[in-house]
Amino acid sequence: MTIDPSIPILIVDDYKTMIRIIRNLLKQIGFEDVDEAADGSEALAKLRQKKYSLIISDWNMEPMTGYELLKEVRSDMQLSKTPFIMVTAESKTENVIAAKKAGVNNYIVKPFNAQTLKSKIDSVFAE
Amino acid sequence: MALVETKQLDHIVSLLKEKRTGEVSLADMVALVEITAQSLQAFFQTIDASICRELKEIADYIGKLRREIGALQANDMRRARIPAAGQELDAIVKATESATHSIIECAEAVMAADASDPLRYKAFVDERMLVVFEACSFQDITGQRIAKVVETLKHIESRVARFAEATRVDDARGFASEKEAAESERKVRLLMHGPALAGEGNPQDVIDDLIAPAKPDASQADIDKLFR
Repeated sequence: MTIDPSIPILIVDDYKTMIRIIRNLLKQIGFEDVDEAADGSEALAKLRQKKYSLIISDWNMEPMTGYELLKEVRSDMQLSKTPFIMVTAESKTENVIAAKKAGVNNYIVKPFNAQTLKSKIDSVFAE
Repeated sequence: MALVETKQLDHIVSLLKEKRTGEVSLADMVALVEITAQSLQAFFQTIDASICRELKEIADYIGKLRREIGALQANDMRRARIPAAGQELDAIVKATESATHSIIECAEAVMAADASDPLRYKAFVDERMLVVFEACSFQDITGQRIAKVVETLKHIESRVARFAEATRVDDARGFASEKEAAESERKVRLLMHGPALAGEGNPQDVIDDLIAPAKPDASQADIDKLFR
């Protein structure tokens, strides 16, 4: 399945280097329309201003975590259908199960490579 | 030695018997108090000795505690060692950030470079790769900084361990402050464990299995796996 490379993507991470890495990986995959937010609350504000086709979010952020962002997104009528990939160092089973219950579309554990990111994006848009 | 001497008690009893029928004068009362005081003298002496012993034990414990608190060198930890370790950690974060920034910048420049002229492109890539090598030298210095922080942690650990051993005081339950309690509660509620150590957490393939939607019906491949 071919994904439209012009889809807008929002990366949410409090670590600028990680945003830069994901942005470069997305660029290599072919995605150019990439915005960024430093935590869940900043992401929510951006999500309410622009329609994004994909959210790629970290878990551990302050003041609003990626997990809280996920729950906010899924409970918002306007945003609830937006695909959400969690990219995090939180790799415990309870985290994965909690994210799944909250409605995450896919889950990538850090550190990861471009192939993993691409396969998860493909998998999300194949659903 | 008995706490109350029976001989003195006999005096009190005989005095009371004598005065059972008659009136009791002030002199009788004084005599009674005197005898009673004499009879309890040994008891009071015993009490004094045990209180003295207990007070001495308390004083010894306080003295020991003072020596142990001194040996803890809490002021040295608070004023010098912990801030120094914090500065080392800050320097580590800055050095790794700076090195990562340089490396990513080089990678971005190489990826964006015009490769139409192979010789010029190779020279450019070589030059950028040298910058990457230079940036990687941060690891040597951060390794030394980390060793200093580890040394500080070991120092604190040994002091605290000695103090805990010497005082044998049970740890108080709960948290030292409401802020600490709120932070801990938030971390538990939002499942913020942080990066897992080797052997903890799950690798990507296990996470993929956890995330995969539950299959209502097993496929032939799934059934085949059960029979392998």
